[in-house]
Amino acid sequence: MLPPLLLSLKVLFFTVPLLILLGGGAGWLLARREFPGKEACSLLAQLPLILPPSVMGFYLLFFIGKTPLLREMGILFSFPALVLGAAVSASPIMIQASRAAFASVDRELEDAARTLGKKESTVFFTVTLPLARRTLLVGLALSAARALGDFGVSLMIAGNIPGRTQTLPLYIYNQVETLNFARAHGAALLLVGAGLASLYAVRMLEEGRNGKHASC
Amino acid sequence: MLHADFRDAAGSFSLNVSLDLGAETGVLFGRSGSGKSLTLRVLAGLRTPVEGRITLGGRVLFSSSERIHIPPRDRKVGLLFQNLALFPHMTALENVAFALPQGKRERAKAGEWLARVKMAGFEDRLPEKLSGGQRQRIALARALAAEPDLLLLDEPFSALDGPLRRSLRRELRDIRREAGIPMVYVTHQIEDLCSLGDRVTVMKDGATRESFPVGRLWERGARGEAWNALGWGNLFRGGIVCREGGFRFEGDTVSLDLDGGGLFPGEGLVFVAPDRIRILYPDLPVDQDLGNNIFTAAVEEIVPLGSSVRLYLAADDGTVWQAEHSSGAYEALRLHPGSRVKFAVPPAAAEVWMGPGSGAPEFNQNRAENRPLRS
Repeated sequence: MLPPLLLSLKVLFFTVPLLILLGGGAGWLLARREFPGKEACSLLAQLPLILPPSVMGFYLLFFIGKTPLLREMGILFSFPALVLGAAVSASPIMIQASRAAFASVDRELEDAARTLGKKESTVFFTVTLPLARRTLLVGLALSAARALGDFGVSLMIAGNIPGRTQTLPLYIYNQVETLNFARAHGAALLLVGAGLASLYAVRMLEEGRNGKHASC
Repeated sequence: MLHADFRDAAGSFSLNVSLDLGAETGVLFGRSGSGKSLTLRVLAGLRTPVEGRITLGGRVLFSSSERIHIPPRDRKVGLLFQNLALFPHMTALENVAFALPQGKRERAKAGEWLARVKMAGFEDRLPEKLSGGQRQRIALARALAAEPDLLLLDEPFSALDGPLRRSLRRELRDIRREAGIPMVYVTHQIEDLCSLGDRVTVMKDGATRESFPVGRLWERGARGEAWNALGWGNLFRGGIVCREGGFRFEGDTVSLDLDGGGLFPGEGLVFVAPDRIRILYPDLPVDQDLGNNIFTAAVEEIVPLGSSVRLYLAADDGTVWQAEHSSGAYEALRLHPGSRVKFAVPPAAAEVWMGPGSGAPEFNQNRAENRPLRS
């Protein structure tokens, strides 16, 4: 059980920064910028949430397999495919949360910072981000749990190669198939624990938001 | 010091502003929706106008012909927002320190600013733990700490009650004098105009109209004209007298019972906002509180303004009043030009500004001659 666990953690280690940068960035764009096709982009970003994972994985498989440059990069059925699968299935949660987080920050506060002589990066890091932080972290906790548990998309584009692309959820599937229930139970418990931990983190963050601002 | 001349459009609303100001307080006066706040946003650089030119003390802040648009951070123009825009995640001290070049490291200097607005001792409070008036002071300290060359204020005192407004206005006046910078103050309240302003610019439907020194409102010959230039509301000049029942305003044609607090006998101005005038339904009993403030008038003109209707009412004494009424209530009254109506001015709706000779601390005009007390 150790190799799949380590692999899952490694996937998470690479996926979380991707979620913060790309998911957070996309959420900021949707909350703060007007551009043509914005609502279409927003809908597209939510697709992984409602499409069956197998469909999502199938399209990714075809897209990567048929695109000349991407095909040569050797993404499919390797570690990068696991990160991609996890990121894709977790991204809608992160994008939605960060859009809500940035939209909740009163623009007048940002304007006030500007009139006080601050440049855009200072405005973002001292006003926008601290005020959006809690909702962003809630989104991150939920989407990280989702990334850790990805099954369908990973299976489609990374396969289920023991020792190479077999993460915990895929490992559980294999153990059940071979009637090795004790091992399946152990791995399942680990994932339940991770899920509970993320929900607990969300709860603490939300309580903090309703309570005091002092802690930020 | 400040010269601004620009045009802008937002949807169907167009803005046409022309402002000239020395090291003094200019009041932009007009009803809500007349474009006052938008004007301040343009001056602060938060909005780029379509065309025009803005200079401040020799610096060009905006020029459409030279393609110059200095961003807000480099303008040195402070803006006190209507809802203050204090950072909720920072303490009072941190809010002020934010405006300083070194930020949080300048605790001592930020502390000095807090002391200056009488907020020493509140350094570590978060904005939500402060009262409305305290928040005003913090916001003012923050705006001043950035050492702006121009300070813009967007009705910052509108949420405060009378006595607090008065003391804050007085402090603001002193602080501005010390700083020696021009200030543009947006308001639709006549008290603010009279007690803070050196010069008033009237704004109407997105355009700046007349501009004249506030003192002219007190010049005997020109007064009607100047008041009319304000273009909105009902303004009367006369004396405040003390009667057994309380204070009463006695003008040339109009007399009104006033709501007592903090008044002195003497010369005074009374302003009644049109939306505070109550049209009385003929069949309903009249509220006792309205006392003697009931008038009979003929409807002269009816101007629909969307959700409300403006009525010009010619009272029997010859005074023409402006009253604004919600459209629904107006329809129920079935008014048309020529119909007779009764209307009332609730004593609390009459804003009073006390003139010279009253000993009122707020008075800052010396052009008007004193009138003998009438009580």
